[in-house]
Formats: sequence, structure tokens, C-alpha cells
Amino acid sequence: MKPDGKVVLLGDMNVGKTSLLHRYTERRFQDTISTVGGAFYLKQWGPYNISIWDTAGREQFHGLGSMYCRGAAAVILTYDVNNLQSLIELEDRFLALTDTASTDCIFAIVGNKVDLTNEYALLLETEEENRSEKLVTSCISTKVQKQVHLDDAVALYKKILKYKMLDEKDVPAAEKMCFETSAKTGYKVDYLFETIFDMVVPIILRQQAEGPLQTVDLTNCKSAKRTKSGCCA
Amino acid sequence: MATGEPGSPTREGMALPQEQAGLCPTDTGGDELSTGPEEQEELLAPQSNGPVRPADGQGDAQEEPSDKELSDSASTDNALEDSSEFGRPLGVGACEPGGPLAPPTHRDEDVTAASWRARRKHIFVLSEAGKPIYSRYGNEEALSSTMGVMMALVSFIQSGDNAIRSIYSDDRKLVFVQQGPLVLVSVSRTLQSEQQLRQELLYVYYQILSMLTQVSITRIFERKKNYDLRRLLAGSEKILDRLLNLVESDPGFLLGAVRCLPLPASLRDALGTLLQKAITPNLVFSILVARSQLVTAVQERAVIEECRLEPTDLHLLLNLIGASSAFQAGEIWTPICLPRFNPDGYFYAYISYLDAECTVCLVLLSTDKESFYAVSDCKKRVEEAMRTQGSLQVLSGGLQSPSYGVGQVGVPDLRHFLYKPLDIPENYRQLPQFTSPELEGPYCSEEEQHRLFDLYHYLHSRIHSTSRPLRLIYHVAEKETLLAWVTSKFELYTCFSPLVTKAGAINVLTKLLRWIKKEEDRLFIRYPPKYSTTPNPGKGAKGGRPDGAENGFFAGL
Repeated sequence: MKPDGKVVLLGDMNVGKTSLLHRYTERRFQDTISTVGGAFYLKQWGPYNISIWDTAGREQFHGLGSMYCRGAAAVILTYDVNNLQSLIELEDRFLALTDTASTDCIFAIVGNKVDLTNEYALLLETEEENRSEKLVTSCISTKVQKQVHLDDAVALYKKILKYKMLDEKDVPAAEKMCFETSAKTGYKVDYLFETIFDMVVPIILRQQAEGPLQTVDLTNCKSAKRTKSGCCA
Repeated sequence: MATGEPGSPTREGMALPQEQAGLCPTDTGGDELSTGPEEQEELLAPQSNGPVRPADGQGDAQEEPSDKELSDSASTDNALEDSSEFGRPLGVGACEPGGPLAPPTHRDEDVTAASWRARRKHIFVLSEAGKPIYSRYGNEEALSSTMGVMMALVSFIQSGDNAIRSIYSDDRKLVFVQQGPLVLVSVSRTLQSEQQLRQELLYVYYQILSMLTQVSITRIFERKKNYDLRRLLAGSEKILDRLLNLVESDPGFLLGAVRCLPLPASLRDALGTLLQKAITPNLVFSILVARSQLVTAVQERAVIEECRLEPTDLHLLLNLIGASSAFQAGEIWTPICLPRFNPDGYFYAYISYLDAECTVCLVLLSTDKESFYAVSDCKKRVEEAMRTQGSLQVLSGGLQSPSYGVGQVGVPDLRHFLYKPLDIPENYRQLPQFTSPELEGPYCSEEEQHRLFDLYHYLHSRIHSTSRPLRLIYHVAEKETLLAWVTSKFELYTCFSPLVTKAGAINVLTKLLRWIKKEEDRLFIRYPPKYSTTPNPGKGAKGGRPDGAENGFFAGL
């Protein structure tokens, strides 16, 4: 049985892709080791089966990136808010992998590890107004200055739209598609996945209306097969 | 290069300690270099007393000039190598190993501490340019000058058209292995022979290949001699750490054989049949494992004709799977290389646990990278059939007692044994196997287990000695008596209580052999099953070269 819709997590290594997914599916944070290849999860969302591909950030696994992304309805591009390079890598290395995604694929940009920043306490404060003063101050002392701000993510989102030649009016607004999360504390992790799943459902419906396989996919398959037998002979 | 002024601070990583430079006459005499304990100490602790180390030799700022020097000198035969080309400074990218996610490990060990030096066995991996790639204990970056000295030794001997193999000191052996652009070094206080240590280093090398393939590594270093391979291996340290622990505790590595889960032959055959049925084109191997012990493995018929699944490849594969606990909930699809089968090609591995406790694992290897959904479907069929059969419950339930105790053999004085049959019919030589009981008292502590395995290693090295091989050894050790025996039919290592007599031990052996004979259907895979998944065999599977093109993604480096 093939799943109805596909969501792919992409991003440089050590930004916490596996941890995000683990927080969402297992409800806890676990120190994981570097992901090998890709891992596939199925999530029941209403009447639909949504598959989630957790991929390895290490570059030797890029060969499979386009296979993971083929026909994806949503791509979650993940970076580490304390590491500017991880945001740059999204554009440099990972964006090209999404070329095989569905044409109406939605993009989300997620800055993970906000718990390590000094802004985290403030974020929590705005979330829950009545948070005690003491906790806030104690948090600040141990945290570091955040390197990547939400504006940078929004800028990347707009670049992606340009790259995909999409009109800003036809896609969800940048502010809605840029998230900051913490897999360690669970901050906004459920919100991230659930927002995306809700957005994926209309795409699933459209894909199902268009028939089981798009022409693009078929030709892709064929050309891939031909090269393979050629090199094995 | 070896005669470079040792005092110059710019040559810090490369310059030889004077004592070592004084060794030049020895190396022309033979390829084995013996040095006294002082030199050994020198190599282990250049930070503390290396005569040439500048005070700030380990700072990040020093990294680049040092690399440049190393790269230049390592390529004396290739003076054209553009050392100014090394691009990315180390600080770039999120690719540094061990971020906040990584739990504290041996990586954090203080490499100047006495406890670090007292470790039983150190393993180092470096590139030909002297760049650190891996160290079993301590941060490899902090060890860059030590690794520099190692590379200096290697290239110094190399410049005399020779190759360094080992250094013996009073209590340690240093073994060097060079494989392509990688240098692997073992510094060991164990009783293992040089040959065995060399074999272990090869396991480490093969594990690296299983993730990167030989052709990629060669290509990367051809393009850039001072490439930092940790960029590609980041996060894999745990896989190598786990491998090195396994090598010391699992006799399968020593014997070059796999251990099977003891099972009634009928159940094993039923599971084999099940795997034989759940196939899809381009499937090459189906492997069912329960808690790292093999249940059964099915191989594509055309593949075995040319090659077979090597125990080494299986060990490395299972180690890799065992190391990634983060995946136990999902299904994994990953390119993986079986280096003994073909060091240059990737297979695509489907890995999934079949039970909630993650004891039973199914591994399916395909040559088609697009076949995830087809292979995943095979797994569903296997899983369903196993549930209807009830065998899944038997497997996960049967693991409460994962193997068997030596008591079942029913002979007194016998504490432990390793048995590897050699008289197997050709059609099941496909997979060398061995059997051994669970370790019981007095071998419960890690220390005692190490002691026992040291003894096994010693016996193994005597039996397999290249200069004077033995067929039978009766060895009285301090706390036990051991007997090793090799015939054309089997290889056997036994451990007895210390009070046994030679006649008594031989007598016990007869009983043990009779017991194994009786149990062999349960202990071994007698007739490894096969299947034909591809209508046009030999094409999809030939040489396990699914796609050389796949390595093309290194083009951008």
C-alpha cells in the first residue's frame, strides 16, 4: 500500500531532524546518533496516510535525496538557529533536491534548537503570560545569542518561491511557513507538524483527483531504469 | 622531509622526534621496526615531551599551516599537489561532530591524562596528509600532533621504499595498516598477535568503506589530499566505537564466522521459506536477525555463483544497524556498501524491526535504489506470515534466554567453548558459522571476559601462526586451562576449570563433539536457502555494482 501523501524533512546534519520527528511521534526527546540514509514513518491523519521521510544530512546520502523527495506534498527544510551555515546550506545543497517534489508542494522552514538561545525565555513568556519571573532570568544567564533570526528564514522562503517560480499570492504566506521549534522541550513541534498535515490534505485530494500517477513520475521511472541496466551490463 | 629541522615551529605536526630520526639504519634492515620503550612513550605522548611541539600546537589557528605542511610532505612524490587549494576551514558548517545533541562519550577524554595512556587498546585513523579522522578515545582534534608523528613514521619509512608494519615495546604493540589514502594504527596492550590486530584495523577500514565505498574515498583524496574526511563521517564515530567493542567481545570477528540463534530446524526452515516467497526484482539478500544473532539468510542464486555473503560484511552490516537506535520506530532505506563483496558499489538496504521491543530485525538488500515501496511490501508479507505462523512470538519470546548455557552439554569442568565446523558440504560453505554458549561465571565481569578472549586470541594466533602452525595446544593458564584443536572437520577452542587433567580434557572433548553433532541442526543453518528474484539473473546483481553513477554526487566536492 502506498501512502496518500508524502512529507520530507531535509537539512544539514546535526540540526535535529530526527529529534523533531521523534519528539512528535514518540512524545519524547532522545539523543540520537547521526541518521544513516533515510527513515520512513507512516502517520494516520484523518482518513489519510501521510508518510514522513526523515533523511540524513550527511552529504554522501544526497544521491538518494531526490528519491526521497519524489512526489512530496510538503518539504520541511530544517536549520539550527544557532548555526547560520545550516541555513545557508539549505539553499546551497538541499533546495535542488526538491526538484522532484510535487509541483504544488508546500515548503516550510524550521529553525530548531531555540531552547539553546537567549530569546527562548521570552518566547515562552509570550506563550504563557503568567510564567514566573524567576525562571525567565535563570534561563537567560546560560543561553547564547541566537545566530539566525526569523527574518532570515522568511527571506529564504521568498527566495525559494522565486526559484520555484511561484507567485507569493498562490502559496501560504512566508510568516505562516517559517517556524521556530525545540525538539528538546517540545516547543511548537506539534504545531509545526499539524499545521503542515492540514495543508497537505488539499494537495492529497488534488493528487488523487488527478489520477494515481503523474506523467512526470512515469518518465522519471523509465529513464532511471534505463540508466541502471546500462551501467550494470 | 624526515630531516626537516625538528625545532622549527611551523613543522610541528610533521617533525620527527630526535629519537625516532635516529632509527634510520634499522628500517633498511627489514620491514619490522623494533624500538625501545622510550620511543614508544614518545609516540604515545608527544604532547607532554615531544621535543618539537610548539606551545600552542593544538589551537584551531594552527590547523591550517599544519595541514599544509603535512600535505606537502606526504606527497613528496607529487610535488605538484596544490596545498593552497584546501578550501573549507574547519569551522564552517554544521558538520562538526558532536554538537549539543551528542551525549558525553570517550570523545571528551583528556588525552594528556595517564588514564588515557593506560587504555587497553587505542585505535587511530588518519589520512595520508596526517589529518585525524578517528580516535577511539579522546577527541581526534586534540590528537592531531600525535597523529602527525604517526604519519611521520609512516612516510619516513616509506621514503626508503619500505613500509612500516609494527613497533614492539615491552608491554605494547603498535600496528600500522595503510589502505589507499587512509592510515590505521593500533596501540595495544592485549595478547593479540600482530596479525590479529591488523585484522581488526581492516574491520575498521571496511566499516568506513561500508558507509563511503572505496572508490569515493580514493576520488576524494585524489582531488584534495588534505580533505577532512570527518565531514563525511561525522556522526559515525559511534558506529566505529561499537565495532571496536564488538571485536573485543564477539568471537565471530576472530573466527571469521557468524553465530546463529539456536532454533529448531523446522522453524528455521519455515522462516527461510517465508523469506524465499517474499521477493521482488533486484532483491539480493534477505536477512532475518534476532538480537544480533542470525536467524536465517537467503541469497540470490546468481549472486552466490560469483560471490557469497562474507561473514565480515554481515558483521559490519549488523553493527551499523545496531548502532542506530534512533530508527527503531520507522523503516530505513539507505545506500550501504558490503566491502568484501564489492568495495566500490552500493546496495540499498531496507531495515525494519518487526516487534515493538526491537529484537527481531529484517534486512533486505536490493540493487535498485527506487525499489523502496516494493521492498517495504515484501516486509509486510513477511511480517503477516510470521504473525499467522506465530513465529514472531517464538522468536522474540525465545530471546529471554538468547542462547544456551554450557551446562546443557552436561560435562563437568567445561566452562566455555568456540566451535567452528569446517566439514560442511560445499553448498552451505556459503556462510561460515560458529557456535558458543553464553558466558557464565567466572566470566561475568568485563575484565574477566577480556582475559578469556585474550587467551582465545593467543591460542588462535598459535594455531594460525604463519611460521609454525599448530594443530593442538594444551595451555595451562593462571586461572583456567585451555585446549585448542584444529582438524579438517572443525576448529575448536575450549576453556576448562584449572584442575582438569590432560586426559580428562580430551575425554570431555569427545563428549562435547558428540553433543554438538546431536545439536547441529539446531545450532547451525544447515542448508542456507536461495532464491531467484530477477528473471534475467546476473544482470541486476552482477558484481553487486548497482550504480557506479551513484558516486557521482561527490563531483561537487
